Amino acid sequence: MIRVEKQAWEAMVSHGESTFPKECCGVMLGSDGVVAEAIALPNVYTGPQEDFFVMDPADLNRVDREARKRGLDILGVYHSHPNCDAYFSKRDLANSCSWFSYVVLSIKNGRFDHANSYRPDFDQKEAPQEELIYG
Amino acid sequence: MAKILIPTPLRQYAGKHDAVEMSGATVGEVLNSLTSHYADLRRHLYNDEGKLRSFVNVYVNDEDIRYLDKEATALKDGDTVSIVPSIAGGSAGIAAPPLTLNKDEILRYSRHLIMPEVGMEGQLKLKAAKVALIGTGGLGAPLGMYLAAAGIGRIGLVDFDVVDFTNLQRQVIHGTKDVGRKKLDSAAETMLDINPHIEIDRFETALSSENALQILKDYDFVVDGTDNFPTRYLVNDACVLLGKVNVYGSIFRFEGQATVFAYPGGPCYRCLYPEPPPPGLVPSCAEGGVLGILPGTIGLIQATETVKLILGIGEPLVGRLMLYDALAMRFRELKLRRNPECPVCGDHPTIRELIDYQQFCGIPNQPHEPVAVEGDIDPVEVKAKMDRGDSFVLIDVREPHEYQICRIPNAKLIPLGDLPKRVNELDSADEIVAHCKSGVRSAKAVDFLKQAGFRKVRNMKGGILAWSDKVDPSVPKY
Repeated sequence: MIRVEKQAWEAMVSHGESTFPKECCGVMLGSDGVVAEAIALPNVYTGPQEDFFVMDPADLNRVDREARKRGLDILGVYHSHPNCDAYFSKRDLANSCSWFSYVVLSIKNGRFDHANSYRPDFDQKEAPQEELIYG
Repeated sequence: MAKILIPTPLRQYAGKHDAVEMSGATVGEVLNSLTSHYADLRRHLYNDEGKLRSFVNVYVNDEDIRYLDKEATALKDGDTVSIVPSIAGGSAGIAAPPLTLNKDEILRYSRHLIMPEVGMEGQLKLKAAKVALIGTGGLGAPLGMYLAAAGIGRIGLVDFDVVDFTNLQRQVIHGTKDVGRKKLDSAAETMLDINPHIEIDRFETALSSENALQILKDYDFVVDGTDNFPTRYLVNDACVLLGKVNVYGSIFRFEGQATVFAYPGGPCYRCLYPEPPPPGLVPSCAEGGVLGILPGTIGLIQATETVKLILGIGEPLVGRLMLYDALAMRFRELKLRRNPECPVCGDHPTIRELIDYQQFCGIPNQPHEPVAVEGDIDPVEVKAKMDRGDSFVLIDVREPHEYQICRIPNAKLIPLGDLPKRVNELDSADEIVAHCKSGVRSAKAVDFLKQAGFRKVRNMKGGILAWSDKVDPSVPKY
């Protein structure tokens, strides 16, 4: 289960809406399974970003170090699916990292629609859904 | 000794430490010490073949080891090794879980679901389908509304126009409140009101040779709701080049046509009409008028064919041109065949990319500013002549039914077609001004009269529409 506090949740939703119709991505910081802060990261994918995102590992490294200093952990990552549902796609699975919760935000016609969270396995074969509580 | 920073989720496997000191001369050695010491950590970093998992990046200080010597990268005392996952993904690659209908959708599509020809399987095909709709005007209005209602999962709308009052007689997707709004927004709003379970992509642009392939490539079917020849040829060629089916319809006054073009093995628009008509020969709806209901009938034939094609049921309207005559209330069918010599879909195509369709249809690319033709007169000047009491004859060359809509006081009605036989009603000694709706027909009248020996004849620029704008706004525009 992952819980996202209101302020962090609103930041994620508005990030997803602002990059629409492109995918957004970011990191969720907090502790004990509760996300207190969302950090928007640039989507550095050089191709069409409507259905793909890539985080720069250097950004991730930097965020991780800054979070450590403030006593926060990276609990998960989020990204948006513009104009489609918040499923965990083949592409998501093929690029997944089993360490994190993956929150997927469905943004339809520029507005938040719904969201789900997933926990991919080591081998990138399955990503069971987990309970997501937000707001 | 190097310091290894442990990512949060992995600390539980590393004695809850956020950083550990390990010895080793290279990154590989240090990571090996780490995973020997904390065995549970190993499977999170390495796969069964003993290689670092694809999502694991290792940094030495701020450098990615992929750009150094990879796992052989040498370490000195005090270096910091970070383990950073690579995070990527995206919606592409088809939803891992198959599409389903939720409870609301099941209720909504009940009348489809209880027919075995559609059923759950068919309704899911509709939901998975992506349809591009070119134009949200006369044909696009019923198309958009019914395709939305039917549950087509994704509909792309292409339009750049704004709703005006003359649209409302037939474009039922827009309402009076929408006049002045973008058709795209007005149409999407109506469609999402009918069915919020669908997705709409909006392309606020005129479809062109530059953007057509890019816009249409992501859709399964293309429905042509356009009203002009260049765009029809463009849509046709783009569909043939992309291998997409083109569901075609066209309307004029009381008659319409519909068929399915570019279906595998079937004909395309160019097989039917290899060459466009000369510009101006076939009047548009704006020029020739159209029965407001007509696009409803034709648009719904297109919608029916689109849904049938998606479901894969029935007999598609391929190789058959459906002709509809609303006055006779009769449908007829013409057989169409693919032309093996067709320049775009034939056996040896010569058109392999999109061309300049304005030029192909004989329409100048840059509509130049109308040059003041000798013999033109502005409506304001005509009014001034009237007010001064100048002696001249104003003739109105429109049709009687147009004259009934509005007229300029004291104008003499002689429809353009009647002019040759009624020319004797005019005196070549008089000064004559001719007008029509917008100035095109009256220019022809002026030409005719000049050839007939009239010297003092002028065309009122912009017709009665310009009169309404510049002289008397109480004159209704139509």
